[in-house]
Amino acid sequence: MDESNPNLVDPAAREDPAPSSPPTPEKLFEEYAPRVYHLARRLLGNAADAEDVTQDVFLQVVRKLPTFRGEAAFSTWLYRVTVNAALAYRRKQALREAHALPEALEDFREDGNHRALVRRWMTTPNHLALEREGHELIEEAIAKLPESYRDVYVLADVEHLPNAEIAEMLGLNVPGVKSRLHRARLLMRKALAPYFEEQRS
Amino acid sequence: MITCRELADLLIDFSSGDLSPEHREHVEAHLGHCPSCVAYLEGYRLTIEMARELPRPPLPPNLARQLRALLEGRGS
Repeated sequence: MDESNPNLVDPAAREDPAPSSPPTPEKLFEEYAPRVYHLARRLLGNAADAEDVTQDVFLQVVRKLPTFRGEAAFSTWLYRVTVNAALAYRRKQALREAHALPEALEDFREDGNHRALVRRWMTTPNHLALEREGHELIEEAIAKLPESYRDVYVLADVEHLPNAEIAEMLGLNVPGVKSRLHRARLLMRKALAPYFEEQRS
Repeated sequence: MITCRELADLLIDFSSGDLSPEHREHVEAHLGHCPSCVAYLEGYRLTIEMARELPRPPLPPNLARQLRALLEGRGS
């Protein structure tokens, strides 16, 4: 299209909703609401609290929606608002962890070798994670992660956000995000291992 | 030769492909003779993949109703 002559712009093309428009109410409901709710639920470890946070976030969505010029900007903003709302909610509820962080690397001896033989897992993710039981196991293990690890883990491994974006949201630097993510993964691996390891024969 | 624990610390970069060639060689050499670390790495990778495949089930009905009302301008 010749941008130097605005008179040549096709009127039909001008009405095309993508990509500079905010998402439609239908898309907000079908796609973004479950994202917000499940992110909040996993961060808070509690469905009722996640409902409160989701409503709070969507009040902000309704107010701010007309100011967005595209879905990419909206999506980034929405994640940030959800994380902020969930963390604020958690602070308000005074549910902060008081206990020490578990040692993710306690499976190693002084000399740096494994304490015991590590057994192989008998599943592939497609096989077991698709089943309801597998999902519940993973959700329970996430809920048991210390909060500071859980926040990073959920945003990185469940929501697939880039480390730099997570660092900005949580007020960390990228090495800090990676270190927490790594420890969270080790704890998750450890929590899931009893269910997935091959049985001793 | 790196230890199992040192290898564990490198897994995040190893599995994302961000490890330097030198460190990668150390990891691969260790994996070549340590079945425990091979199993450990496999579990680490499966853990990552399973988290990525977690579904987002439908919203609780009450919340769904409230959000619909809000998005249609009927909310408070």
